[in-house]
Amino acid sequence: MPDAPLISVRELSKQFRTFKRREGVWGAIQNLVKRDYRTVQAVDRVTFEIQRGDMVGYIGPNGAGKSTTIKMLTGILVPTGGEIHSNGYVPWKQRRQYVKTIGVVFGQRTQLWWDIAVIESFKLLRKIYDVPQRDYDERMELFNAVLKLNDYLHTPVRKLSLGERMRCDLAAALLHNPPILFLDEPTIGLDVVAKDHIRQFLKEINQRYRTTVLLTTHDLDDIEELCKRIMIIDHGRLLYDGPLALLKQKLLRTKQVKFVVKDSEQAARIAVLEKDGRKIEAVDHLTYRIVFDRAEVSTAELLRQILAEVEVRDLLIEDEPIEEIVKRIYAGEALKEVSA
Amino acid sequence: MITLAQTIAPYLEFTRVGFVNILAFRLRYWTGIITYLINVTVYYFIWKAVYGPAARSLGAGGTIAGYDLGQMITYVAVGWIIRSFYWNTIDQEMAYEVLEGKIAMELIKPISVQWMWFSRAMGESAFRLGMLTLPTAVVITLLFPVRMPASVAHFALFAAAVLGSFFLMGAINFMIGTCAIRLKSILALIRAKYWLIELLSGLLIPVAFFPAPVRAVMAWLPFQHVASTPLQIYLGKLTLGGAALALTTQWVWVVALVWLADRWWRASVKKITIHGG
Repeated sequence: MPDAPLISVRELSKQFRTFKRREGVWGAIQNLVKRDYRTVQAVDRVTFEIQRGDMVGYIGPNGAGKSTTIKMLTGILVPTGGEIHSNGYVPWKQRRQYVKTIGVVFGQRTQLWWDIAVIESFKLLRKIYDVPQRDYDERMELFNAVLKLNDYLHTPVRKLSLGERMRCDLAAALLHNPPILFLDEPTIGLDVVAKDHIRQFLKEINQRYRTTVLLTTHDLDDIEELCKRIMIIDHGRLLYDGPLALLKQKLLRTKQVKFVVKDSEQAARIAVLEKDGRKIEAVDHLTYRIVFDRAEVSTAELLRQILAEVEVRDLLIEDEPIEEIVKRIYAGEALKEVSA
Repeated sequence: MITLAQTIAPYLEFTRVGFVNILAFRLRYWTGIITYLINVTVYYFIWKAVYGPAARSLGAGGTIAGYDLGQMITYVAVGWIIRSFYWNTIDQEMAYEVLEGKIAMELIKPISVQWMWFSRAMGESAFRLGMLTLPTAVVITLLFPVRMPASVAHFALFAAAVLGSFFLMGAINFMIGTCAIRLKSILALIRAKYWLIELLSGLLIPVAFFPAPVRAVMAWLPFQHVASTPLQIYLGKLTLGGAALALTTQWVWVVALVWLADRWWRASVKKITIHGG
C-alpha cells in the first residue's frame, strides 16, 4: 500500500468579494450609501495530492490562483469551499500547530525583521520555533556552505540586495527543518547565479531531509531543474496535473534542428532541404534552423537528409521550449489535448 | 513537555527586538521629550489660570472638585510621565501591515499575533521608560512643584496600575488595528480613539470634573482605568483598600479586553484578503 499523501486538497475554492468603486463625484456619493460587490472566483474546485518528498511545480499566468492556493495551504487564507489536509492538520483551523511544520517563502515579501541584522532575525526564529542550539548550528553551517550567508549576516535586511535577501529568507524558512516547504515565486527578479544557488540548495534540502516542496514560479527553468511533476492552473481551475515529461510528450508539437554549415558555398545549397512540414530559418549567415512537426517528419530521416545534402560543422536537436507549450495551454489551445 | 520558559522565550525576543528597533529612531526620542515637556508646561499654565480666581475666592487652599492646585499640577505632570510608558502605536502599525499584506508573515509563524504585538510594544515601552519617561520625570519635577506619591504602598499599587494601563491600551489598540482587516483604512478610527482616550481616560481633565451623569457612565467603561486610576492612587485620593479595589477592577478590565481582542482577532482573521504577491 502506498503511503497516505502528505498534502491532500479536495474541491478547494476561494471567492473574493471585491468592492466596485463608481467613478466621479456622483459615484463617490453613491459609494457612501450603497456598495456594489463583485465576486471573483480565485480558486475553483481544485483537487490534488502530494506525496512526501515530492517536488511539485505550480504554474499559471498572473492572477491564475497560484498564490491564493499557497496562502490557503499555509493557513493564511480561509477557503470558501473544499478541504485541505496537510501533514495531518487543517491549516486555517490549527494554524499555530500547523505552521510549526511548514516553511514558507514569498518571493515578494520577507519574513525577516526589516531593521535588524539578519542574524538577529535568525536568533528570534530559533526561539519562535524552539530549535535546539545544536541543530541550529548544524543547519546554519549547511546554509552557509550552499547559500554563502556569512558575508551579510550582520547587515540589516533593508540593506540587502534581492538575491541576498531571498537566500536569507530561504534559510529562515528552513531553520526548523520543516517537512513541507512552500515557495511562492522564490526566484522572481533574481540573476542567473542567484537562481542557480537557490535551485542547488532546494535540491540539496530535498535529498538530505526528504523535504516536500511545492513551488510556484514564472520561470520554467525552475520547474525543469527541480520538479518531475507540474500542476498548471488558470482562472482558478487546475488544467494539468502530472509528470512534466508526459506534458511534453503529449503537447510537444515541433522540434528543431539547429546546424552550422561549413561555408557559404554549402549555405547556398540549403534550399534543397525545403519540403512540406519543415520551416527553414537562417539564424545567422552560416547557422540555420529547421523547425518541423514531430508527427509528420521523422527526426532520423531529416537528419539523414541534412547530412547527405550539406556539409555540417555542428548540429543540435532541440524540443520545443517548454515556454511555448505553456503559452499554448494558457491560450486555451492545448486544453483538449491534455485531458485526452 | 513544553515549559513556561519555552512558551515565553519568543515573546521575550520580540520585546528585545522592539527595544532594539526603537534605538534606530533617535530623532523621535528627542522630539518625544520636548513634546512631553511642552504639554506639561501648557497644562501647568492653564490650570494655574483656572485656579487663580478660585484661589482668590476660596483662599489659598482653594480646591476644585477636590483638587488643590498642587495636586492638579502633580496630576498633569505624572499623567504625562506615565503616558510615555503606556502609550503604544499597535493600531497604526497593524493598519500598515494589513494594508501592505505583511500580516501574512505574522500568520505563518507559530505565535499568538496579539501577544507578539504586546511584546514588541512592551520592548518599546521599556525603552521609553528608561530613556524617555524617567529623564522627563526628572526634568518635570525640577521645573514644576510635583508632589511625591502618597506612600510607598500607594506607589507600589500605582506601578501595578501603570502596567495595567499598558495592557488596556494594548488591547484597545489591537482591537482597532484588527478592524483594518475589514475596513482597510482605519485612520479616522485611530484619530477618534486618540481623542476619546485622552478625554475619557481622565488625562486631560480629572474624572471628578465631569458632570455626575457622565461620571456614572464612565464608571462602567474601561477608559478611566488608563490614566485616572493610577493617578488617583498616586495622589492618595483613594485609601489603600480603595486603591487595591480600583487596581483589581482595572485588571479585570485588562483580562476582559485582552480576551475580547482575541475573539475579535479570531473572527476577523478569517476575512483576511491579501492581493498580489
